Amino acid sequence: MADNVRFTLNDCPVEIAGVSPMTTLLDWLRDHRGLRGTKEGCAEGDCGACTVVLEREGRRDAVNACIALLGQLDGQSVRTVEGLRGPGGGPHPVQVAMAEADATQCGFCTPGFVMSALAHASNGGTADPDAIHEALAGNLCRCTGYRPIVEAMTRIAGLAVEPPSAPLLSPRTTSAAFDGAFFAPRSLDELLALRAAHPEALLLAGGTDLGLLASRERKPPKAVIHLLYVPELAVISASADQITIGAAATYEAAAPTLIEAFPALRAYLSRLGSRQIRNMGTIGGNIGTASPIGDMPPVLLALEASLTLVSPRGTREIPLDDFFLDYRKTELAPDEIIQSLSMPRLWEGETFHCDKVSKRRDQDISTVAGAYRVRIRNGRIEDARLAFGGMAATSRRARATEAALLKDGFAAAIAAVESDFKPLDDWRGSAAYRRQVAANLLRRLELRLAEPGRALEVEAL
Amino acid sequence: MKFDTPATTNPIDQLKVVGQPVDRIDGRFKTTGTAPYAYERHDAAPDAAYGHVLGAAIAKGRIQSMDLAAAKAAPGVLAIVTAENAGKLGKGEYNTARLLGGPEIQHYHQAIALVVAETFEQARHAAGLIKVEYAPAKGAYDLAASRDKAKPAGTDDEPADSSVGDFDGAFGAAPVKLDATYTTPDQAHAMMEPHASTAAWNGDKLSLWTSNQMIAWSVGDMAKTLGIAKDRIHLMSPYVGGGFGGKLWVRADALLAALGARAARRPVKVALQRPLMFNNTTHRPATIQRLRIGATRDGTITAIGHDSWSGDLPDGKPETAVLQTRLLYAGANRLTRLRLSELDLPEGNSMRAPGEAPGMMALEIAMDEMAEKLGLDPVEFRIRNDTQVDPESPKRKFSQRQLTECLRTGAEKFGWAARRKPMQARDGRWLVGLGMAAAYRGAPVMKSAARVRLDARGIVTVETDMTDIGTGSYTIIAQTAAEMMGLPLQKVVVRLGDSTFPVSAGSGGQFGANSSTAGVYAACVKLREAVVKKLGLNAADAQFVDGEVRSGSRAIALGDAAKGGELVVEDAIEFGDLAKKYQQSTFGAHFVEVGVDAATAEVRLRRMLVVCAAGRILNPKSARSQVIGSMTMGAGAALMEELAIDARHGFFVNHDLAHYEVPVHADIPHQEVIFLDETDPMSSPMKAKGVGELGICGVAAAIANAIHNATGIRVRDYPITLDKLLKDMPLPA
Repeated sequence: MADNVRFTLNDCPVEIAGVSPMTTLLDWLRDHRGLRGTKEGCAEGDCGACTVVLEREGRRDAVNACIALLGQLDGQSVRTVEGLRGPGGGPHPVQVAMAEADATQCGFCTPGFVMSALAHASNGGTADPDAIHEALAGNLCRCTGYRPIVEAMTRIAGLAVEPPSAPLLSPRTTSAAFDGAFFAPRSLDELLALRAAHPEALLLAGGTDLGLLASRERKPPKAVIHLLYVPELAVISASADQITIGAAATYEAAAPTLIEAFPALRAYLSRLGSRQIRNMGTIGGNIGTASPIGDMPPVLLALEASLTLVSPRGTREIPLDDFFLDYRKTELAPDEIIQSLSMPRLWEGETFHCDKVSKRRDQDISTVAGAYRVRIRNGRIEDARLAFGGMAATSRRARATEAALLKDGFAAAIAAVESDFKPLDDWRGSAAYRRQVAANLLRRLELRLAEPGRALEVEAL
Repeated sequence: MKFDTPATTNPIDQLKVVGQPVDRIDGRFKTTGTAPYAYERHDAAPDAAYGHVLGAAIAKGRIQSMDLAAAKAAPGVLAIVTAENAGKLGKGEYNTARLLGGPEIQHYHQAIALVVAETFEQARHAAGLIKVEYAPAKGAYDLAASRDKAKPAGTDDEPADSSVGDFDGAFGAAPVKLDATYTTPDQAHAMMEPHASTAAWNGDKLSLWTSNQMIAWSVGDMAKTLGIAKDRIHLMSPYVGGGFGGKLWVRADALLAALGARAARRPVKVALQRPLMFNNTTHRPATIQRLRIGATRDGTITAIGHDSWSGDLPDGKPETAVLQTRLLYAGANRLTRLRLSELDLPEGNSMRAPGEAPGMMALEIAMDEMAEKLGLDPVEFRIRNDTQVDPESPKRKFSQRQLTECLRTGAEKFGWAARRKPMQARDGRWLVGLGMAAAYRGAPVMKSAARVRLDARGIVTVETDMTDIGTGSYTIIAQTAAEMMGLPLQKVVVRLGDSTFPVSAGSGGQFGANSSTAGVYAACVKLREAVVKKLGLNAADAQFVDGEVRSGSRAIALGDAAKGGELVVEDAIEFGDLAKKYQQSTFGAHFVEVGVDAATAEVRLRRMLVVCAAGRILNPKSARSQVIGSMTMGAGAALMEELAIDARHGFFVNHDLAHYEVPVHADIPHQEVIFLDETDPMSSPMKAKGVGELGICGVAAAIANAIHNATGIRVRDYPITLDKLLKDMPLPA
């Protein structure tokens, strides 16, 4: 069975033959398709010069073409800067607004900005400065000083942008295999069979980490299994007791449910990667790659998340506490996949807070991330789960700190941070700095609990 | 045209098109993604193969062996270029280190090989198969540690040392004095478009599409490096995705594309991968700067001294951080000194406002500190020490100098009077501070030529090798030609960045806008003469208006002059000694409001204003963008930008955009620019100067001074990250 990747590009169906499905969308657009409006600035999802939009379900979602693999696009609808037209065939109103506001100088970042702006306007984005900043956090510019771009965005937010057109391609109903190496199963059973048959394959969800293998590390994966079309992995549900998020659900899809249950995540998620990253990246992927500075693991550890792992041998549920073994090593068996993660809702008396400390507010990797679930009854701390990222080879709970907090209160807990973590020194922060930050975040937590509303939150710029 | 007497009234003064905030004429190409950059010339070189650059993995030493066998045998590989097989190569005049290293390695990530293959993936894969054995040598990577070994070093234009009066005596005797040392780190241009080139040989003639600011310099250096005549090279750079000084010269991508294309016998394109750029290309060198200022109690400066230390590779140049101190403030006794250490870090070189950008970062904090010691308002202190003459050479006046006007206007518009003593303003979680600094940047001029063509449709085409690196050159050149020829903008076509066009000033040093438009002015003067002669009109009363030439009672369509064939003329503006007789500079005043989080010491910019006096503003819209863009880069310098050195291995650690942090949207608040009304007849017939670099000069110090006003903490070590504030932060009230 030889399948070809098929997707819609600027309203035209395309079928990819003779090009590896591990090729990035950006390389394919520029080198194979001759569409060079989309630029490569960094090849790792940092700068946004390669931004294109995916049109799906009445929305337009900005994504980084440099870390999206062709195979991931099967069945999707892609629009690039060349696919924009205004009334009468001239430039699109978004392009006109950008040009008239002098929002382009050297022009190299501009197509990416145009596409982020299009997505913002299409999805009902407002002219509120915070909304604009969030929409553009994943796009760097080195010439304009950003203000003309904000001016253009302000005008664009009021535009009536035409909705995305209906998909041209009928969705695939059966699984696909591209080039004998890129597998796109359509059910959990198929996924498990593929996993067993191809233990060397990497599981690909959003690709925001894995895509760097192809774009930056020069080592495109030999084989991947793409999880996007496995319906069992896309489930997002909320019951009276718990929240369940499928391993292949994107941040953007999961955010409303998560924020409803845990309001502190609103500010946190808005600073996780960028809009482009959140449109592709998944929480399951963030756990699976087991990066020591992934933003979600501390949150999920604090929230007592458990993972549903599935293999042909059956299903098991394990606490996330037991999942991370060492640097980039997890409990996942070779034939196993993460199906979903669940976390209990907050009980009465429980509060949840989280902090991301990074050098730059937006579009930056955490130096330290902290998350805390604390149960207080009758003025006494009854239970505490405190977890940190960036403090060890994996995200981890601060067990000694938790114990000290329950026994002797915050001063003891702060003193105990030292015994819990031996962080590393690197460019993001020294070991001493990281320890100090973790301790200070606990001071902030104490203030949040003692005098709600007094502690300063980073939401306000 | 020789420009050696002050400009009088000329057609530019009509300001029908020049001086108007017209939209950038290349804006629609850029917003639609149709502007072709150097790596994208498939129209011209459709069968280009791909080159991938391999950088050295040591900072200093020698390559002992290179095993190319596996790479050569890899699928799709067409050629591999190394120093061993490239033939004899020269070194460009503008390059300090060789663009292709080996066997000697001069810096980390110096290019040592190019692999050419059918596809990008194949080239990249094969480059990873090259096995290199090195014999590393010990290098020097620490500026502070090598400071004692530094030697005096000037440049072609500037002496290492300058001295007036008796600095030591006056400083020693001054009743109020400051002696403080400041440091600025290595910084990266981090322009959005990586260095990229496409090269194609036709016999012994090379066509090179490259992302480049200075066409003629680069033709010369390519010729010198390849050992061929300049006329064998056709270099094209019509669109440049940002340069900031990093693309003033050809880099490894250009040379290796040419060598790769020769070896593979077909066109080759090469883009430097982002993680290679930071160590492979040039950067703004770090400085250590000592400022000594002595004054009387009433705030008159009696002694001003500025020493600057920087490092570079052997035969490199100093960062000229003392330049503004030679000119900005009065003071009878003066001393400035440039010192240079040999370091084995990647090549240091020009980045946006070299000299003044880091120099003002230090000087303008020192001025703030001095004002504080004197109990004077820092605006008033600067005004008190203003000078209308070159303080090192008092017979030489400034052609225009509205520093005081900038300071006063800015103070008024910004609400400077509301500034309080340090640590006294608070807005919720934020400690609020106001800070200011002067802005200063020289306004040099360079010879610049252009060719103009008039066709029978009345369309004027301008051809010059000037580049538009995002600055707006296309637009202001079109405005100049339209004004001169009495045409609407739509009737002017501008073609730039091609070595077959007349040699222009190029883009750099803030000289591009004024010089290149003056060159177009000169060519247009000649075209007007040709038109008048062709139409048999009276030169004395001929007017070029609305697409017509009018003389006496006659009005003839401009295009009629070309009915018998296109009219083509060429001329250059050549500058006489007005720039020597008069010091020509641009001035400004920055005002900044910051908030510093009382608990975390996180700094947020709240408001920024700059008032500029920079001659005639040719296009207020694009000029404003240039200024706020450079303010943003200055904000990065103040708060986050720093290349971190691994002093064991001699390289910049944070060599990608994930780790070299530049400002993002949310970092940059409201920004305002006010241009003072100014025309400078000494500068050129355009009466203009540059603004592209003025905005970065001083802004970082204004931010530092605002942080001091908010927190009472004086940080003299850029960037001002919160770890440098935390230990001294005032206890939360």
